[in-house]
Amino acid sequence: MPAEHGLDPVIHGQVRLRVMVTLAALPAGDDLSFTRLQEVLGLTPGNLISHLRKLEEAGYVTTARSGGGVTGRTSVSLSQQGRQALDRYMADLRELLDSAGAAARRP
Amino acid sequence: MVEDQDMSVREAAAVMQDARIRARHEFVISAPAVYTAWGLVWLLGYGAMWLSVRGQHPYRSPSGVSIAAVFVLAAFAVAAVLIVAHRAVAGVGGRSARRRTTILVTWATGYLILLVVQTAISGSVSVRTLAFVDFAGPLLLAGLVYLVAAVLGANRPALALGGWLVLVAVSCAWLAPAAMLATCALAGGGAFLLIAAAEARIGRHAG
Repeated sequence: MPAEHGLDPVIHGQVRLRVMVTLAALPAGDDLSFTRLQEVLGLTPGNLISHLRKLEEAGYVTTARSGGGVTGRTSVSLSQQGRQALDRYMADLRELLDSAGAAARRP
Repeated sequence: MVEDQDMSVREAAAVMQDARIRARHEFVISAPAVYTAWGLVWLLGYGAMWLSVRGQHPYRSPSGVSIAAVFVLAAFAVAAVLIVAHRAVAGVGGRSARRRTTILVTWATGYLILLVVQTAISGSVSVRTLAFVDFAGPLLLAGLVYLVAAVLGANRPALALGGWLVLVAVSCAWLAPAAMLATCALAGGGAFLLIAAAEARIGRHAG
């Protein structure tokens, strides 16, 4: 359970974790179009939107729309706060895995 | 996809690892492939031109077939780079996209200037001067573009390659035309292939 692990509940979900890791793979200052992100993750637009909304509410991602009509482009990027939150999440996860490994080795 | 808030720590680690591998596969341009493509253009193309002028006394010019080979190899290299880069850059905007545009504009402008200079001086300078502009000019331009790319992207291999190519191109000013071609082929093309091997090795260790 998220409360038990102490892992960030906003990130700790399959889809949101994948969104965060995918966006973190881009260099800082880059963004990704909504359609490409959807294609990479293999999600429906509705599903992706609902998860992006949660991440945006937490301040972890930012979305921006440029242009209008059919040529408009929605881009998604990881915020500085999001990058820090993912780093924290990964450190916490590593710590939990290490302690689980140590517990398993104990006689 | 069903959202799983209850996934275990191990499942989360597996999801993260999987997403990281997928993202690398999707967004990283294969540097070894790009360097290899251009390395072969220099090594084989310039090597062919060198072989065609090796027996000329006095030097006249590379054979038409060897010049055509350079253009065909360059066309293949451009196509290979476009194929490799297309998937990696699709949908990616922001700083990297602006950097790519700057590099492309620098390269295109430099090449245009080189063509204009070649045309302007072709009838009025010595054979050796013309050979320097024709053979070492593109290598000098490639070196300068890699230096620009390195500065914009803090890329150490590109910095090393760019610096080396500039050095090789400048050293051609002291050489005879046939030696220029051999130097550009071996020291220029060889450097590209060496960087490609180094990048592939780094990629294997990182992966």
